Amino acid sequence: MYDIAGEHAVAIGAAIALIVSLWLALRALSWLARRRIGWAVALVEAYRTTSAIASLAAVLMLVSGVIHLALIPSHEGITAVLFVINGLGFVVLGVAAFFTSWWRRPAVLWLAATIVAYVVWIIAGWETPDQIGIACKLIELVALGLILRLAQPGRRTWPRRMWRAVAFPMLASLATIGIWVGGLAHPDALHAHAGAILQPVAAVATPEQRDAAARLLSNTRASIARYQDPAAAIAAGFKPGPVSSADPLRHFENSANANAILDPKHPQALVYAQTKHGLQLIGAMYQMKSAGQWGPDPGGPLTQWHQHEGICFSPFGFEFSFETPFWTCPVGSTSITTPPMLHVWIIDNGKEGPFAADLDKTVQKQLQGS
Amino acid sequence: MSITSQAVTANNAPSSSAPEIASLLVVTQASLSLVAGLSAIPFSIVEPGFRVLSVLTILVAIGMFWLARNLRRQRRWARRWVIALEALGLLASLLLTVLPIGAMRGPVPVLVNLVMPAAVLWLLWSRSGRAAFKKAA
Repeated sequence: MYDIAGEHAVAIGAAIALIVSLWLALRALSWLARRRIGWAVALVEAYRTTSAIASLAAVLMLVSGVIHLALIPSHEGITAVLFVINGLGFVVLGVAAFFTSWWRRPAVLWLAATIVAYVVWIIAGWETPDQIGIACKLIELVALGLILRLAQPGRRTWPRRMWRAVAFPMLASLATIGIWVGGLAHPDALHAHAGAILQPVAAVATPEQRDAAARLLSNTRASIARYQDPAAAIAAGFKPGPVSSADPLRHFENSANANAILDPKHPQALVYAQTKHGLQLIGAMYQMKSAGQWGPDPGGPLTQWHQHEGICFSPFGFEFSFETPFWTCPVGSTSITTPPMLHVWIIDNGKEGPFAADLDKTVQKQLQGS
Repeated sequence: MSITSQAVTANNAPSSSAPEIASLLVVTQASLSLVAGLSAIPFSIVEPGFRVLSVLTILVAIGMFWLARNLRRQRRWARRWVIALEALGLLASLLLTVLPIGAMRGPVPVLVNLVMPAAVLWLLWSRSGRAAFKKAA
């Protein structure tokens, strides 16, 4: 769900280059300082007399600044202008942390404003949350927390201490919820629903692709007709998946078909719907072996594969929730990405069509009521 | 007053920064766990198993806030507990990295599940980290 936008990948290189450059610069300055070069001695002294907390906060602000500056070419309009201001601001504050005493309050305001602005941008739908943006917010959150810990001993009254204790976890939690809500509210075109990403395909199917899709549907329907009775499927090696009160559909998987690729005679799974009269065969599911390995799509946009990602799966049964933008899941569950899959619905799937990622809601209600 | 001496006044370190930084990282992890626990509540309406996981995660998050507080106060038992928990978390994350389930894809899971626990462990195991807790004892 939270991928790395291609044009944002340059920021990772910029952040790594900055850290390596800072390390090399520090080594060079130390070497010059040992040779009693005046300005180098002053710089090294400034670095050594700065606390580890302030130094770390400064480095994190510099990293965030460089990430913002590296992302300017991939943004336009007001966002690009804000990236210039933001990036330069972080660089100035990061440097100021080593040489001045006034930097703390502006840095707290700058960091908090940047985090809040990002959440606003996501909720408004002006930016799609991707891993670079989220990683950058994590860096800024840690920098903010570090600076808040640089309290002056003389000003440690209990309301201030209380505020300092609560402010950081509160901002971290609200930022997480904000990014999450914004991301779920504005999914991009390649999300079938939250947690399911679609294979990129052309917009319109050619006549040949329409024919191929129709062939796949009829071949699949003919091949799995023998499994109308779940007992026949079990006898053929399909294993029933766990029962879930959240999902009325049950997948019967056959590991012996794992290596087959879009073969109607050897589908990876059969899909049954739980009706009042028992299980009813409603389709088949083809699945590739590895995540990210899209299968052949003979019908072009008509046979679009999808893979589930960003879901927290619990090994204690078929139970799941969505992972947070910071990739955390409840204790006892873990984030998983499934290999791509293609459903072929042999019943009339309403507006969604025979190859949709999901069963049409109306059809699902009808099946449950039947 | 020179520029450097101003910086000294403003940024002078407390006796040791290691427990302070480790404590902040644990608070960050606790905040993220708290949201993960709260976020599982809506799913627990239809998935009863998630009720248990949700409550457990919230309790773990509260426990981590408490450990972070005591880590900052340089309590030796808090250091031991945090080391044990972080080591366990790091091992689990390394195992998930090896498994072909796509649990670690991109910089965010690497930062949250590998770099942060490794940083906390390094801070608490480092010479200055150990010294800070010895001094406090």
